[in-house]
Amino acid sequence: MDEQQDHQTLLDLVKELVHRLNPSTATTTTQFAQSLKYATRILASRMTPSIAADESAMAESIKRSLVNEGNSSGALAFADLYTKFSSKSGFGTIKNKWAVLYLLKVVAEDRKAAKKSNSRASSGLFASTVCGGLPVVFDEESGGAKKVLDRNRSGSNGVLLVSKDSENFREIAVREYGDLVREESEVSEGVLVRDVLYACQGIDGKYVKFDKNFDGYVLLDSVKVPRAVRVMVRKVCELGWLFMKVRDHVSESMDRFPAEDVGTIGQAFCAALQDELSEYYKLLAVLEAQANNPIPMVSEAGNSGNYLSLRRLAVWFAEPVVKMRLMAVLVDCCKVLRGGAMAGAIHVHAQHGDPLVQEFMRQLLRRVCSPLFEMVRSWVLEGELDDIFGEFFILGQPVKAESLWREGYRLHDGMLPSFISQSLAQRILRTGKSINFLRVCCEDQGWAVAAEEAAAAVGTTTKRYGLGYGETDALEALIAEAAKRIDRHLMDVMYKQYKFKEHCLAIKRYLLLGQGDFVQYLMDIVGPELSEPANTISSFKLAGLLESAIRSSNAQYDDADMLDRLRVKMMPHGTGDRGWDVFSLEYDARVPLNTVFTESVMGRYLRIFNFLWKLRRVEHSLIGAWKTMKPNRITSNFLTKQEGSIKFQFVSTLRRCQVLWVEMNHFVTNLQYYIMFEVLEVSWANFVDEMESARDLDDLLAAHEKYLQSIVEKSLLGERSQTLCKTLFLLFDLILQFRSHADRLYEGVHELQARTAVSALSSQGRTKTRQKQNDESSWGGGGRKALTKLAGEFLQTIGQDLEKISKDYSSSLEGFIAQLPMQQHVDLKFLLFRLDFTEFYSRLRLGK
Amino acid sequence: MPREIITLQVGQCGNQIGMEFWKQLCLEHGISKDGILEDFATQGGDRKDVFFYQADDQHYIPRALLLDLEPRVINGIQNSEYRNLYNHENIFVSDHGGGAGNNWASGYHQGEQVQEDIMDMVDREADGSDSLEGFVLCHSIAGGTGSGMGSYLLETLNDRYSKKLVQTYSVFPNQMETSDVVVQPYNSLLTLKRLTLNADCVVVLDNTALNRIAVERLHLSNPTFAQTNSLVSTVMSASTTTLRYPGYMNNDLVGLLASLIPTPRCHFLMTGYTPLTVERQANVIRKTTVLDVMRRLLQTKNIMVSSYARTKEASQAKYISILNIIQGEVDPTQVHESLQRIRERKLVNFIEWGPASIQVALSRKSPYIQTSHRVSGLMLASHTSIRHLFSKCLSQYEKLRKKQAFLDNYRKFPMFADNDLSEFDESREIIESLVDEYKACESPDYIKWGMEDPSGALTGEGNATGTVDPKLGM
Repeated sequence: MDEQQDHQTLLDLVKELVHRLNPSTATTTTQFAQSLKYATRILASRMTPSIAADESAMAESIKRSLVNEGNSSGALAFADLYTKFSSKSGFGTIKNKWAVLYLLKVVAEDRKAAKKSNSRASSGLFASTVCGGLPVVFDEESGGAKKVLDRNRSGSNGVLLVSKDSENFREIAVREYGDLVREESEVSEGVLVRDVLYACQGIDGKYVKFDKNFDGYVLLDSVKVPRAVRVMVRKVCELGWLFMKVRDHVSESMDRFPAEDVGTIGQAFCAALQDELSEYYKLLAVLEAQANNPIPMVSEAGNSGNYLSLRRLAVWFAEPVVKMRLMAVLVDCCKVLRGGAMAGAIHVHAQHGDPLVQEFMRQLLRRVCSPLFEMVRSWVLEGELDDIFGEFFILGQPVKAESLWREGYRLHDGMLPSFISQSLAQRILRTGKSINFLRVCCEDQGWAVAAEEAAAAVGTTTKRYGLGYGETDALEALIAEAAKRIDRHLMDVMYKQYKFKEHCLAIKRYLLLGQGDFVQYLMDIVGPELSEPANTISSFKLAGLLESAIRSSNAQYDDADMLDRLRVKMMPHGTGDRGWDVFSLEYDARVPLNTVFTESVMGRYLRIFNFLWKLRRVEHSLIGAWKTMKPNRITSNFLTKQEGSIKFQFVSTLRRCQVLWVEMNHFVTNLQYYIMFEVLEVSWANFVDEMESARDLDDLLAAHEKYLQSIVEKSLLGERSQTLCKTLFLLFDLILQFRSHADRLYEGVHELQARTAVSALSSQGRTKTRQKQNDESSWGGGGRKALTKLAGEFLQTIGQDLEKISKDYSSSLEGFIAQLPMQQHVDLKFLLFRLDFTEFYSRLRLGK
Repeated sequence: MPREIITLQVGQCGNQIGMEFWKQLCLEHGISKDGILEDFATQGGDRKDVFFYQADDQHYIPRALLLDLEPRVINGIQNSEYRNLYNHENIFVSDHGGGAGNNWASGYHQGEQVQEDIMDMVDREADGSDSLEGFVLCHSIAGGTGSGMGSYLLETLNDRYSKKLVQTYSVFPNQMETSDVVVQPYNSLLTLKRLTLNADCVVVLDNTALNRIAVERLHLSNPTFAQTNSLVSTVMSASTTTLRYPGYMNNDLVGLLASLIPTPRCHFLMTGYTPLTVERQANVIRKTTVLDVMRRLLQTKNIMVSSYARTKEASQAKYISILNIIQGEVDPTQVHESLQRIRERKLVNFIEWGPASIQVALSRKSPYIQTSHRVSGLMLASHTSIRHLFSKCLSQYEKLRKKQAFLDNYRKFPMFADNDLSEFDESREIIESLVDEYKACESPDYIKWGMEDPSGALTGEGNATGTVDPKLGM
């Protein structure tokens, strides 16, 4: 009874206190009731401060803090008061003196803290709890969330401290806490857990629903639960949001298939995601099962393990959420990407320090890249471009066989994943290209063997889907091996089956005029034909002449296949063109050699041919001139028997002609030597070296290009030697003109000679032995004077013509030689060296 | 149209060196002694049809005419293992078989007598070829048949085939030892006139130099004819390699000769060959590079023409042209280096009146003949010092002529009948003018030479004995 009264008194006191602390609320309101309840709870709690209950120590501490504050009089007053307080004893006095002291101290400290930072009430509140001070019950300024937090904290603080107490206390506290929670929540945690589980499957639960504005799952506002629970639910439900994203992507992609913008890699990605999702479903299933178990109270924790609270759920979801988040990120960044680009984008995210992420990404990438690697594999081993969705980093396009190598395939940089380097990609491209080239252009099957060997050499990674992401070494080994063998096979096929080198040699011999005897006969027999106007020449006839030139030269022993490819080509001609201007030879390279000898390459060969052919023609005509003036034909010396000026005129004309011939012949011959030794042979020797060391078709193409380019440049046909080339052709024309003059000179001389002989015969009327026929006396006929006059006139005109040509020639040649050292782009010192071997021209220039 | 070349071997010497030449060609082309292609001779690239043609039974037959006025040498050939090689229709031995008695006039006269027979053979051979390039005459200038009949043939060929080339391989007598042919200077002079007027190119094979080379270079104490002849055949075959193994340049005789003979009358060529070997001789294998070969070719000791020039004259002598035919495995870049070295060291003197250079022809080597050296080279050159050889001939002739010695032998024949020795004088005049022209070539003023001399002594190319009037015909 007494106790009951005591209790009632206490209750009243508490009521009074609450009212005092919060005077705005009427004692009848629910808020007041709540506050009262809270206060009661605080008082009922067995909270104990974590310091030892030593009364005198506490007093000492208070005294010291007062001294520290500089309030020494206060300290003295406190000491005096404390002495009085502690000395009091007996009924009616305070029993728990230490507690009172502690309370005072804490209150003082709270005050102080509040004063120090009254601008930030929350921090004061926070500090108070952290410092183990008194919990602040009402704080109008701080938000509701903080209140919840505060309450939670205070609760937990209580629970924590309770642990020091006996078993009994603790149970009571937990039960009270459970009651409290139950009291504050409209729905039980078990229900929430189930709802959360639903949300995590993308399904709206009873209380947890998708909020569009919030873009996430939230607990309905109408449901009354503690803040903590609300936040927790929202946090845990992030997984649901992520899941939705991933799932939507997967289903969307699946729906779109077989529309082309998903692609196999996209599918693989979806499949990989799907697998991850199934794992996730499994987890959810387990969790759902656990969710059926009731959530035990703390006190029962030891008995049943398999129940699910929100907290447990959060723990369960820790890992899936990381994965799901990753997946969502990937889904986001892959939304617009396809194929290799997608793999590359995923690869970027795989560069992560967290081993968990790394492992997850690696597995994912293995799956995603699987089709890509399969494409690589079938490309380098089978040459199949198995890529209907355009995902591979190699693009094929339908082209003619001859441009298959150059244009048929190319790298698609956008689809090149970053984990495959550019150089590796190039090698991959070339290997598959080689196979296709072999298949399409060479009609070769042997590459399959080479590919098999390569596969065998590399081992298991060559099985279907054997290659995986991350096995860069294996990939490189496979590519290296395949490239090595395929390229070697390709080279073999080119060299052996298609006789690449022989064809190059044939081109050198026929188009670059290396087969001298053939060229000579051709020149001999087509020469008369080519002097005709171009439009009257039948190319059919020329083809026949070509045929007979082949048959009558050593070319006849050449491979029939190569001879068959040699054709006459008439270039387009305008009016006034002679056959010489349009005639040329061409070599029909055919597939696969036309990959090397493309049209533009053949065009350059054509230019070289035309140049060499012209040079040959000039040489030919010079030799023709020599034939008319050759030693045993200068028997027309009858004029030298004459006295006087006519003789000197004759001698000087012939001499001039000869000396001019010497100069021209020297030029042409040495130009030919230069072309042969310094241009053709040297370039060829280099080409052969490079051909032997060429490992793939690209090397070969490059070597050939270099060879051709060096010939073009050194033959003065390059862009930069146009003026030089022009002068050269001017010189050629002068030489051809010279030829006709020389012919005229010698014809005239022979004619004069014949007429002399006739007149000699008629006037003398006797036949002598041939040795005597042109005896001095025979030159005494009636026509002698007329003849001499005629001869004089003839020689004079010819002499003038020759003089003119000689002048033109000298000035042109001088110009040519002067220009030679200035051609810095190509080494022409060899030509200069040969032309001026005896320093004849240097002296000539010095003499001027 | 293989640009065929018909070989005429006249007289004892001509047939001997001719036979050696054919032996060498057979070896190089893998043709057996019977004219059948050996089984191993499958490597193409060579042209056999320049010098051979194929009979119906695929036998290779030389385009060669074997001509002599006495049967000894030709009988020897017909009894040798090569008897089946030649076309027997192409062998001509005079009926009486008495030879020409080392008398040019006799040889010339007999040539005139039998010209129809011989020209028939020539025509037949010429008709048998698609595009006859010319003739090669092998003979000596000292004896009777080679010089006399050879001279006659030169004139006839020049007349009838004026557009064809006529090249001779002319063996000049050994001046170092007293010859058993006392009239040698007469014969030489008369032949030289024809070589000057009627030949396009004369490859001078100086027996004096050949002997010297055999003794000095090959260390043979007493070289036999066979040994010197093998030197000749080496030169002959080497000088035709570019025709037989066609390459980029120098594929025909005319192309080969045109650059060598820029001035028509100076068409006497010297030769040099290195490294020289003789059969069955253990030769020292030397290192042979292009530079080595080219340098050695410029050394007088390797040249197969004796130089009778005095030191001062020799220093003025100049090359009019040089062609080096290099055989073997040659890196084309070495050619340029070698030329550069030769120019730097001033190893060669060229004419000053026109541009000139050493021409180099690279030629393949026969795959069927094993040689111990990698590179070998032949030089064909027109050099002004050759005039001293002609001067020597002239001076020997003058000595004999002054004494009026042995002229009776010549007067027996129509050309010199009635004591008409004008042929001698004319020949002398022509040779003198030839010597003068060579001398003029040494001067930078060659271009003006002969034009300011109104006496006409230098340009007196004599009467127009060589003049051909095609209308006259034969």
